Amino acid sequence: MAHVVLKDLVKTYGGFKAVNEVSLTVNDGEFVALVGPSGCGKTTTLNLVAGLTSVTSGDIFIGDRVVNDLDPKDRDIAMVFQNYALYPQKSVYMNLAFPLQMRKLPKNEIDKKVREAARVLDMTQLLERKPRELSGGQQQRVALGRALVRDPAVFLMDEPLSNLDAKLRVQMRSEIKRFHQDLKATIIYVTHDQLEAVTMADRMAVMNGGFLQQYDSPAQVFAHPVNMFVASFVGSPAMSLIPLEASTANGDTVLTSAEGWSLALSQPNARKVQGATTRKVVLGARHSTIKLHKSAVPGSIPAKAYTVEPTGDVTFVQAFLFGAIVNISVSPNIAVTPDEQIWLEFDQERMHLFDGETEMALRAN
Amino acid sequence: MSTIAETAPRDQTSRRMRVDGWRWGGRVFLVFMLLYTALPMIWMLLTSIKSGFAAMQFPPQWWPDQPTLASYQKLLDPQNSVGQDFLRFFWNSLFVSTATTVLSVIVAVPAAYAFSRFTFPGRNFLFFAVLLRNMFPAVIFLVPLFILMRAIGLVNTHGSLVLTYLTFGLPLAIWLLKGFYDNIPIQLEQAARIDGATRFQAFILIVMPLSAPGIIATAIYSFIGAWNEYIYAYTFLSKNEQLTLPVGIQRFFSENTTDFPGLMAASFMMSVPVVVLFLVLQRYFVRALTEGAVKH
Repeated sequence: MAHVVLKDLVKTYGGFKAVNEVSLTVNDGEFVALVGPSGCGKTTTLNLVAGLTSVTSGDIFIGDRVVNDLDPKDRDIAMVFQNYALYPQKSVYMNLAFPLQMRKLPKNEIDKKVREAARVLDMTQLLERKPRELSGGQQQRVALGRALVRDPAVFLMDEPLSNLDAKLRVQMRSEIKRFHQDLKATIIYVTHDQLEAVTMADRMAVMNGGFLQQYDSPAQVFAHPVNMFVASFVGSPAMSLIPLEASTANGDTVLTSAEGWSLALSQPNARKVQGATTRKVVLGARHSTIKLHKSAVPGSIPAKAYTVEPTGDVTFVQAFLFGAIVNISVSPNIAVTPDEQIWLEFDQERMHLFDGETEMALRAN
Repeated sequence: MSTIAETAPRDQTSRRMRVDGWRWGGRVFLVFMLLYTALPMIWMLLTSIKSGFAAMQFPPQWWPDQPTLASYQKLLDPQNSVGQDFLRFFWNSLFVSTATTVLSVIVAVPAAYAFSRFTFPGRNFLFFAVLLRNMFPAVIFLVPLFILMRAIGLVNTHGSLVLTYLTFGLPLAIWLLKGFYDNIPIQLEQAARIDGATRFQAFILIVMPLSAPGIIATAIYSFIGAWNEYIYAYTFLSKNEQLTLPVGIQRFFSENTTDFPGLMAASFMMSVPVVVLFLVLQRYFVRALTEGAVKH
């Protein structure tokens, strides 16, 4: 196993910058998720590490080597592809043996390693089958097996679960996590599903438009998103973002909406807003930090329920707060009906405030 | 509700009637096409086992009174001059066609792979330029190519034919193969390269076996094209011992009085290699080898 360092990594296609000055360090044995929407540059970044795409500028270190100009085969990596990329003409056994054959291992050692990998992944009885005779989950397992049979320095995974059905995805998610814990493997895992990143990764790198937005532990990213993009991307249902105007009068700082309702801020929040260079402030609140009331209470804001989604454990309510849509979660024993008049109360301790112009989170000075 | 219940069955019947009408029309058409294709071949086979006299009779004998393999014996007998000529023509055709096929696969495989996988300056232009040759009738190039061949001293050699057939066959071969390579997921090569293969090894070990059906289809296409070609062979070759089968048979039998059973026997034997090739390799045309490579 080894650590991986990306330093000012840039990849351009024609005039288009797919990856823009990305720098990050993946520690030895760490599970890092690259996460972001389609086209954010996460897969390109992974392909750069794999050597399938050439670097425009910047450096990639695997261990202490700069690998920029090395062929994929010389980088000591293994990769799991979204479509598995199993060799269709080869049996499962030969698929698993291929990376070892390419490294010219003796036959009996190949056999030992293949059977060991098959045993670990519980597919010994599948060894003679062809990939097309396997289910999606089994194909996925073979792809994983082909990666781990060789004991590489780094595992690269490109959306390995996105072709599986929902149930299998959850199961494989915990298997991959377990696999990481058992092997102490260095893993770089690309996904567009923030839930996968949050549940599996030690650290997650949120990307957008080729830029690295935030690189931190899932808990930190969740609790302290650096900007509005990260705030709305991580967490489900998404964080509600409400554009407001800040004003200070008589020492009290108040956020006012264009529609006329206003919200007085607590002292710590007021300090954050006062440090901003603009009066446009965006209020961010996660569904669990908004309280729903059936009647007006001091500090609450009137809104109208729009949709109600019971999930069993918790009921998600989507409400119109004048122009903005707000997601709220409530206990299932509170009955809310669509179009009902409700009042929302924001938790001052756990609310997020963003600069309305730069979209960056406002921090207390 | 009741209206729907009453009208629905009538609707279905009339629709089924219409479908059946089309289906029967289709069957009649297919039978007609089958006869249209098969009858000349059957007639060729029947004539080839008649005696010379029986072949000229009118009304024709539908089944020969005295079937004979004399024509085949004559053609395949290396002792007499007819057999010597026929076998020589056969060998010439085989040589020219095989050389064309081998060369066209050797050239088309890397070319098609490059068109499919790499981006390089002028890629689209080149790709369509490759097709330009096929946009004109073959005869147009007859005289220019003849002059060219004379200039480089290839007239009266089999090389002139191989070169010419390559220019005909390659564009389509490249197009056909590019389609095959486009359908092989690039992740397979990427996986192989990460698994320790060089780019070339990934091509040879992973991509080539998967494109085997395409390569075989391409090869058969080139082979048949070269095997059946007449007009260039007729123009470029004048020495009797160099002729290929199509020209050879035609010249040979018009020189003697027209020996129809002999001509038909020769024609039949000329079609044998192509048919055999097809029968042996046809499964590759239908085999969907990439199935299971990726999840669809």
